[in-house]
Amino acid sequence: MRIGIDVGGTHTDAVILDGDTIISATKALTSADVVSGITAALDNLLKDGGVSQDKIETVMIGTTQFTNAIVQRREISPVAAIRIGLPSGRGMPPMVDWPEDIKTAMGDHVYMIHGGYLYDGYPVADINKDEIDELIKDLIKKNINNIAIASAFSPMNAEPEKMVRDQIKKAIPDANITLSYNFGRLGLMERENAAILNTALLPFANKVVSSFLKALSNRGLNCPAYISQNDGTLMSADFVRAYPALTFASGPTNSLRGAYKLTGLQDAIVVDIGGTTSDIGVLQGGFPRESNVIIEVGGVRTNFRMPDIMAVGLGGGSLVLKEGRTVGPQSVGHKLVTKGMIFGGSTLTATDIVAASGEISIGDSNKVKSIPKTTIQTATKTMHNILDQNIEMMKPGGKDMPVILVGGGAVLVTQGLKAASTLHRPENAGVANAIGAAIAQIGAEAERMVSYRDTPRADAITMVTNAATDRAAKAGANVQSIKSVDIEEIAIPYMDEGATRLRVKVIGDLDLRGTS
Amino acid sequence: MKEVGLEHLDDLALGSVFLATGGGGDPHVPKLIAQEAIKKYGPVRIIHPDTLADDAYVVPVGSVGAPTVSLELLPSIDDAARTLEAFENHTGRKIDAVASFEIGGGNSLIPLVAAAGRNIPVIDGDGMGRALPEAQMMSYAIAGVKPTPAIAYDYAGNTASFDVTTTQVYERHIRAYSMAAGGMVTVAEHPMTGAQLKQSVITGTLGFSIELGKTLRENRGQADTLLKPLQSVFKNSIYGECRMIFTGKVIDKSTRIIGGYDIGEATIETFSGKGDNLTVNIKNEYLLAKLGDSVMVSVPDLITIVDFETGTPINAERLRYGQRVCVFATPCPKFYRTQAALKVVAPRCFGFNFDYIPLD
Repeated sequence: MRIGIDVGGTHTDAVILDGDTIISATKALTSADVVSGITAALDNLLKDGGVSQDKIETVMIGTTQFTNAIVQRREISPVAAIRIGLPSGRGMPPMVDWPEDIKTAMGDHVYMIHGGYLYDGYPVADINKDEIDELIKDLIKKNINNIAIASAFSPMNAEPEKMVRDQIKKAIPDANITLSYNFGRLGLMERENAAILNTALLPFANKVVSSFLKALSNRGLNCPAYISQNDGTLMSADFVRAYPALTFASGPTNSLRGAYKLTGLQDAIVVDIGGTTSDIGVLQGGFPRESNVIIEVGGVRTNFRMPDIMAVGLGGGSLVLKEGRTVGPQSVGHKLVTKGMIFGGSTLTATDIVAASGEISIGDSNKVKSIPKTTIQTATKTMHNILDQNIEMMKPGGKDMPVILVGGGAVLVTQGLKAASTLHRPENAGVANAIGAAIAQIGAEAERMVSYRDTPRADAITMVTNAATDRAAKAGANVQSIKSVDIEEIAIPYMDEGATRLRVKVIGDLDLRGTS
Repeated sequence: MKEVGLEHLDDLALGSVFLATGGGGDPHVPKLIAQEAIKKYGPVRIIHPDTLADDAYVVPVGSVGAPTVSLELLPSIDDAARTLEAFENHTGRKIDAVASFEIGGGNSLIPLVAAAGRNIPVIDGDGMGRALPEAQMMSYAIAGVKPTPAIAYDYAGNTASFDVTTTQVYERHIRAYSMAAGGMVTVAEHPMTGAQLKQSVITGTLGFSIELGKTLRENRGQADTLLKPLQSVFKNSIYGECRMIFTGKVIDKSTRIIGGYDIGEATIETFSGKGDNLTVNIKNEYLLAKLGDSVMVSVPDLITIVDFETGTPINAERLRYGQRVCVFATPCPKFYRTQAALKVVAPRCFGFNFDYIPLD
């Protein structure tokens, strides 16, 4: 059996899964210290499920703690940002386009030194040893321990980043250092931003991970613990101490993965209807479809890949105007329970329309008797039209697709959806995130520069896939279950025809044998 | 409009992506450089071509290279001004004003960086009215302005000077030099007199791009609500009537880098999945839009693809599978419909086997 926990900003949800079966599920408030919230959730969970600790083989945690920290500018530590790329980029220092408040929170310690590579492997400039010595002296003087390092074209050649790290480590052995090449992909400023955000969270990550592990051991759970990352795969909890930024998108990812688990539908549209918005995402092969636009986290441009989510201004608290011809995007939000008519307020909301239509019974139906029949009909039609239109836009290739409804606002859908081939309302949709975390798999990537002239394409793919498979197995995946999910080939510009950067991503089920 | 200040840069960058028709590179980094330069040196004066003295000496300045390279090899704040300095040293002539190669994308901003650093004005106009991939497609070259003397300046301050016969030859040489110098260089070229500029410039595009960007920003939202405001801003411009030709989602996109260009095509399907797909051919820019087999829009008319939900224009390198988009088409400025211009910018010049079909 496994436990999935979702530590959100307000709620901590948890589930116990036995294979595909949900044994128990619970919701608790997230506590300021994180520990007591998780402990409370675990207590309910184990008691309700009548499960003893020693039956639990592994715990998976999804969390928005790190995203929230960046967005709310809290728990951010001072960072030194070092860029290796001079003489290019003079007058364009790291963090040049960041919002002032977050730049200030990190102390705005910026260093630029010579080095890095060009697209063709030629050095931008020779490394200058004196510059590095100066820099290290200054770090020691300012007592800065958290350091992010980025160099030009480091996804192709990370040597300069590693060299500067080694020099700093020699002088400052306890330094926390993030190298930008670990965040992949071309785009120096975005990759550097990701490394800086990650570094600023390192001390907090240490604290959070320790809290997670403490909460688990408090309740006698000494099994392996994992944390889910952006693409829905797992990292060991200890790995997160070094890479907290890899959790930034895990919230929406887990929600989509949970919807997949609850219905078994690999290809579907997931509509999460809350109080203010409906978030529409797409499942492809059981995983979220990713967006490719530049993603900002707390006002900072990054190169993270996030699920492609369209937020539509329709939720349970949406205002109903013009006799129902307009619903949303304005909303009373979480004040629905005081402002909505059905709850005794005076604002006509989407929830009041559903209550007045008699499709669901909440609150005192006398309070919505005054709503004209035509308004109810028009508003109902408006809401369904909004969802139908937006679902159509998210559907890949206009194919017929099932739609999975989750979230508290799912009751707004009373008439079925034209855009859906079939409509699904899974039980336990309220803890979809925790379920998404619980079913996360082990992922691994490998990347090589290959020449299809020397190595035939099929052989090259096999070679890189084997390397990724080895890594996944070492990380705890069951070897039989490992399969490749993504093969990315990037022809290298201006080089020999056939020179390619080949990246293979594999995933596999967590191997539970021997861990219980 | 008298000068460009910090408050205009976001709008200029946004408008320039619309006019870039998919090419021109992401203007984010050039915008940051322009921001830093204006913070340091102050706002930049704008001169309308008509008010320029006939004997003034004007030099267009901008970047040449592969847009993907500039993602890693960042420009420096003084590159553009030092390029002009090197040009003056080489020719022994003082530059009175700078002009832009192309209003589309990052090269709309580089002249501002140069002008700020040298404290000289920038011309309200450019050499393309959009973005196009090669130097001989510039209106300056089409009107007979010689490409050289020209100076190229690399990230490390190395310079090269050029003295060649035609812009076609110059284009080959500068491309090769750019690749040898890290993939991206700043260049001053096609120097001309005020009188020559008046004959060859696409007038007013700098001010127009700022207006266009403002319109896009103020009307941010679902793309089909953008058409009216767009039409009203284009009405008082050198361009024809802007129209919406397609909405749908990208179901395929493939490009390969061949000879330094992103070459390929994108396929867009209607939201309902009914009717013909729209195919857009790409060579750095969006060059052709075909509905089924029939050509709807062809270069040099402008094809712009915007994000359906926000109305933000999307560069070709950022266009991806699954994106929901809206496609706009706008007739190009009259200059580009002349025989002389079509000789170098018609679809056949890009290897397509048919003639330009002007939007009416």
